[in-house]
Amino acid sequence: METTTKGLKLADILTTIVIAIVFGVIYKLWGPLYSAVGVLGFHLDQLIYGMWFIASSLAYLLIRKPGVALLAEIAASSGELVMGSQWGLEVLIYGVVQGLFAEIVFAVFRYRRFDTFVVSLGAVGATVGSLIMDFYKGYIEALAPWNMALFLLARFIGAVLISGVFAVSLAKAIEKTGVTQMWRPASKDDYDALNR
Amino acid sequence: MKWEVRCRETWLHETNPSLKLIVLVVLFFAVLFIHNPNVLINVSLALFVLFCFGTGYPANVLFWLFLPFFLVFVSTASSMMMFGEGTTTWVRWGLIHITAESFWRGVHIGFRALALGLLGLIFSLTTRPVHLFYSLMQQLKLKPKYAYSFLAAVRLLPIMLEEFQTIRYALKVRGVPNKGGLSKVKRYAIPLLSQSIRRAQRIAVAMEAKRFSGSGRRTFYYEIGFGKYDVLFVALFAALMFVAYYAGVHYPYISISDVR
Repeated sequence: METTTKGLKLADILTTIVIAIVFGVIYKLWGPLYSAVGVLGFHLDQLIYGMWFIASSLAYLLIRKPGVALLAEIAASSGELVMGSQWGLEVLIYGVVQGLFAEIVFAVFRYRRFDTFVVSLGAVGATVGSLIMDFYKGYIEALAPWNMALFLLARFIGAVLISGVFAVSLAKAIEKTGVTQMWRPASKDDYDALNR
Repeated sequence: MKWEVRCRETWLHETNPSLKLIVLVVLFFAVLFIHNPNVLINVSLALFVLFCFGTGYPANVLFWLFLPFFLVFVSTASSMMMFGEGTTTWVRWGLIHITAESFWRGVHIGFRALALGLLGLIFSLTTRPVHLFYSLMQQLKLKPKYAYSFLAAVRLLPIMLEEFQTIRYALKVRGVPNKGGLSKVKRYAIPLLSQSIRRAQRIAVAMEAKRFSGSGRRTFYYEIGFGKYDVLFVALFAALMFVAYYAGVHYPYISISDVR
């Protein structure tokens, strides 16, 4: 029906964006929580920073196509922007950079591996993207060394735990509901079931 | 995006959404590269004035919208003030070490967060999402399948909220304890996401049948072009940046011209 088979189909795009918009709402609600935790000091807030990368991890795990990680992160952050994020336009630009770095990691694995390791690496990639932006915006290199080490460690650990490990467990649970079957090609088990 | 809040339409609503987005993104990067706190304070004040008088919202709404930005200002600034590096010590109390350099750097970062926040707020308060996506398709040649997918997804939000309520009631009726951290997130996220995915698939089939995925020429219900307000918009921001820069360099509030 379509002449262009390359790239994402409308169904993939729409599903990615719908998932991303759900997380856009969560991203928006995460802002006040992040600020509240930030009051505790010692960069405890960085431990929950990783939630802002989960849209790209989950879209990649569920839809498994090139480009969805970037698209999901852009869609989630623009959803957050449109809902009036407390960081304003910043979230959109952070979203683009974070999504891009996660996408690069997934591209390095040629969109073939969907395990905790690769998704965690994707989260680490997104973290690097966010740090590049922070470097320009917040002069983080000017923090005292022990403080900066704590900051970096907390953000990386949080990212791996939330957007890596937790995203995989969430994706597995969603797979069990069977909704992802709709865009997966029939597996060998399905053919065996027919032959029985 | 604030459907429930009534607002006066100002000239900012009339500007082209794509142009507005591009100008504000350029300003975003410009603000990132301002290292002179005097200039940045001027820029923030100018944006604040525009936010108060240009967006057409009543004062109490503006106050509540602005409050979180103020909190970001305080939290961003204080972290750098207390833990930043510097040589001229003001206060040293345990791990907290406030120096003149870190104090002004903290103030600078706080104002930067404020300016960036205001840029986004001005944009989202004066742009209707539908117009934004129609403009992106017409002026920036965004593919219709992306733009209409966005618009369809935004329309699903109210349905999702309703489903969220339904799940809450269902769990309550079944006596599921309303606690637990990540397990609680999962309890809500899985039915919400799986239903949304199902719905997205169905809508996609319908949209494909209506040729929303095609790459041929389309006509648009909303024709969005350029007008006199777009000229005003660009001129205003150019003037604003120039005046802020000039005044910041020649009439400084504080004697520091670079916080790095």
